[in-house]
Amino acid sequence: MVVTLGNLTLWLSFFFSIFQFYNSQKKNNLKLISIAVKGLLISSLLSFLILVYLHVVSDFSVLNVFENSHTTKPFLYKVSGVWGNHEGSMLLWIIVLTIFNYFIYKLYNNKNLVFISKTLSVQSFIILGFIIFTILTSNPFEKIFPVPANGLGFNPILQDPALAIHPPLLYIGYVGLSAAFSLSVATLNSNAKQEIPWFIYMKPFVMAAWTFLTIGIALGSLWAYYELGWGGWWFWDPVENASFMPWLLATALLHSLIVVEKRKSLQAWVLLLSILAFLLSVVGTFLVRSGILTSVHTFALDPSRGIYILAFTALLGGYSLILFASKSKFYFNNNFFAFFSKEGAILVNNIIMTIVCATVFLGTIYPLLIEAFTNNKISVGEPYYNSTVIPIILPAILVMGVGPILSWGKENKFLLLKKILPSILMTVLMTIFFLSIYRSYTFVGVLGVLLAFWIISNNLYLFYIKRIYHSVGMVTAHLGVGFLILGITSSSVLQEEKIIRMNIDHNVEINKYNIVFKRISEVKGPNYIAIQGNFEIYDKKNNIITKLKPQNRFYPITNNFTSEASIHTNLFRDLYIVLGEGNQNDGWVVRIYYNPLVAWIWIGAFTIFLGGILSMRDNFKKVKKIS
Amino acid sequence: MKNQLIKIPTILFLSILLVLFYLLVIDRDPSKLPSNLLNKNAPEFVADSLLDNEKFLSKKELNNNITIVNFFATWCAPCREEHVYIKRFSSEKKIKVIGINYKDNPEKAIIWLKKLGNPYSNIAIDKKGKIAIDWGVYGIPETFLINSSGIIKYRHAGQITKKIYKKFNLLIKEIN
Amino acid sequence: MISRNILIATIFFLAQLSYNNCFAVEPNEILENKKQEARARNISKNIRCLVCQNQSIDESSAPLAKDLRNLIREKIKDGDDDKEIYLFLTDRYGDFILLNPPFKLSTFALWFLPFIFFITGVLIIFMHKKKSKWIKKN
Repeated sequence: MVVTLGNLTLWLSFFFSIFQFYNSQKKNNLKLISIAVKGLLISSLLSFLILVYLHVVSDFSVLNVFENSHTTKPFLYKVSGVWGNHEGSMLLWIIVLTIFNYFIYKLYNNKNLVFISKTLSVQSFIILGFIIFTILTSNPFEKIFPVPANGLGFNPILQDPALAIHPPLLYIGYVGLSAAFSLSVATLNSNAKQEIPWFIYMKPFVMAAWTFLTIGIALGSLWAYYELGWGGWWFWDPVENASFMPWLLATALLHSLIVVEKRKSLQAWVLLLSILAFLLSVVGTFLVRSGILTSVHTFALDPSRGIYILAFTALLGGYSLILFASKSKFYFNNNFFAFFSKEGAILVNNIIMTIVCATVFLGTIYPLLIEAFTNNKISVGEPYYNSTVIPIILPAILVMGVGPILSWGKENKFLLLKKILPSILMTVLMTIFFLSIYRSYTFVGVLGVLLAFWIISNNLYLFYIKRIYHSVGMVTAHLGVGFLILGITSSSVLQEEKIIRMNIDHNVEINKYNIVFKRISEVKGPNYIAIQGNFEIYDKKNNIITKLKPQNRFYPITNNFTSEASIHTNLFRDLYIVLGEGNQNDGWVVRIYYNPLVAWIWIGAFTIFLGGILSMRDNFKKVKKIS
Repeated sequence: MKNQLIKIPTILFLSILLVLFYLLVIDRDPSKLPSNLLNKNAPEFVADSLLDNEKFLSKKELNNNITIVNFFATWCAPCREEHVYIKRFSSEKKIKVIGINYKDNPEKAIIWLKKLGNPYSNIAIDKKGKIAIDWGVYGIPETFLINSSGIIKYRHAGQITKKIYKKFNLLIKEIN
Repeated sequence: MISRNILIATIFFLAQLSYNNCFAVEPNEILENKKQEARARNISKNIRCLVCQNQSIDESSAPLAKDLRNLIREKIKDGDDDKEIYLFLTDRYGDFILLNPPFKLSTFALWFLPFIFFITGVLIIFMHKKKSKWIKKN
């Protein structure tokens, strides 16, 4: 019945993708291609909705529902549980591929028939690859017999709103880069003299992908911050790196597209970056699903899946890179631009983003390389990335402040100095003001704050003075980066921590706050029972600021314990409390953090996202004009 | 020149994929750590013995024949599961097996061994886990194979299964 | 009522035994000497928790992490310097336990390549400048 329908839709998707691939090789079968594109969209959507339905009604005759769901799961998490597992998330991959496929199809006009058909042929090949993978190794509609009475529940840590929405957003991000890949390959396969505005087509897709990738990564980090209990939000985990690398290249890609559009330079960069960004997305998928390494993010270990994805990556990557190697020379051009120019700044940014990406890639796969060649195991953790990535990224931030103000082609250095004098002044003033409040003078701290204010003052200046000449989206996004750096620097350098054992009615001071441990209570939740610590926070004048209630929860169905931090947030700082073990006699272990300006990390990320959305709106208008 | 330069990333890319492919097809567990003490002398220690009043001297126990050293505890479920194989090492293969009782309650351990059978010729008490740290143990059960010169030849982290039991026996034959 | 209290008490008890969720350094571990404690925290941040997913022993509440934290503090009190402490741990657990990869022949590429990447980047900019000058002349 429903499950058979589910399998049917998967096979329909398979046939539609072959159909699209075949018909897009020929020129004039627009009607057939249209059927294929729309058919793909509908069948993949149906597959997904059917799986959602099966989870929501708790049909445990389906293996995927049994392994990942439970009747007591709240509705929202039954739905998000669909993409929280490997097989279900493949359906999400496929939907995003077919949605972007549809929007590529919408680009058709009488002038670009051949080109768009070529693009659709590449896109359908990618879709085909993922559908075959799903049907062969990861079919979510597999049945189980005898039918169990209930499911295996689901990890309670993952029942969270931010975590629920984070995968779909990430997927729109790195799966969306497939469109850029397809457009790039189609361009390389076309005659360069034909003057197809391939870069205009690419921009909205890259913009959309980049925007959602940004917010997807940010939500994952936000979740880690408030859920995992020690205030960390980025761990350089291989799977986190797998989402960061496409983001870095997509950022470079985005900026380069602007240069191609305005000055026709950096075309080869764009073509290569589009290919590499999507390839990294696929490699990222490989790392998560193949069982080659373990991580909090990995799905179940299965080498056969890994071999398939690797083969597919080799095919896709080998073909596209060799194509680029042979055809890219038609896209080199000799338009002059000075180093001190907008193009120059973007070139510098490209190089730095690529270097950071290469370094992160190196750090991520190096343990695997060592293991293959020496039978030894090493770890590449946070200290490595901090010492390599941060120094490299600093010049990028410096350039980013001044980039938007630079002229195209060549900038007069003296004129430039004049232009940025007010921002330099503002930066210094803001930094001095900041340091007078937060009296911490470490090198890293001061540098980080300086750079943050450098970005912020430059962009506030742009907002105020030259709003008409610069895109609101760009200024917003850049401003967001400034906020982000401010948040990151302050919360790491200025953090205060207190770990103590407290008895009831005792108090402790941190920064300028007084924290009183009032009592322990017992709390019952929908699928857990908890011990809750009740704390009252007072300021210096003994006014109560808030009540914080960290909990230690027990989920009987999965036999899990979790610790829920209690956080009070405002624009200036977070107060973060975690309750440890203890008893009435000896007291309780309590861990308190004072995290200054940490909210600006999330504000910054969201502002970047907002900037992306604003730019997307502008871009879609442009593409509509051409179509 | 630029063309040559561009071919390099392609070759690099495909080579990396080849390495990843190799790692997938070999028999490997990504969560397991190889022991850093392989082919080195077994760390020496002195401890209390579980079942008698004499001190346990590793120097005395580990330098004459092929020995198996097994870290276990009563609170460890996989230790209980694998115990049948530990017994088989001693009874069927006639190999000397030493037990190290890790972070456990000695009285509970004695009862546990009475109930499940005691294959160990001697048992050292590692109350605080210091011996375990010296042996590079990161999670019990862990089982070491020591040759007659006191050198660690093999370490298995985790429960001994039929497959691992066979592997141990093969290795023992090789050492002999 | 009684059975509910027993349930809660059981949870208290179980909770004390089986936390594997991010709790880390406990009050009774903290050394009196602030400098020593700071050293201990710094070293701990660089030591991988071997039974966790990508955490240092400073962040983890696993029993092994706690043992290692205590071991490090004992050694600091005994007068060992950082190098000796790291050596003690890598002798027993291998280089895997270090979150900051060591400088060895096998990790030469790991540490050297980012530098090479940087130089390559500078070269590209340099070559671009040369080309631009050439274009400008012609």
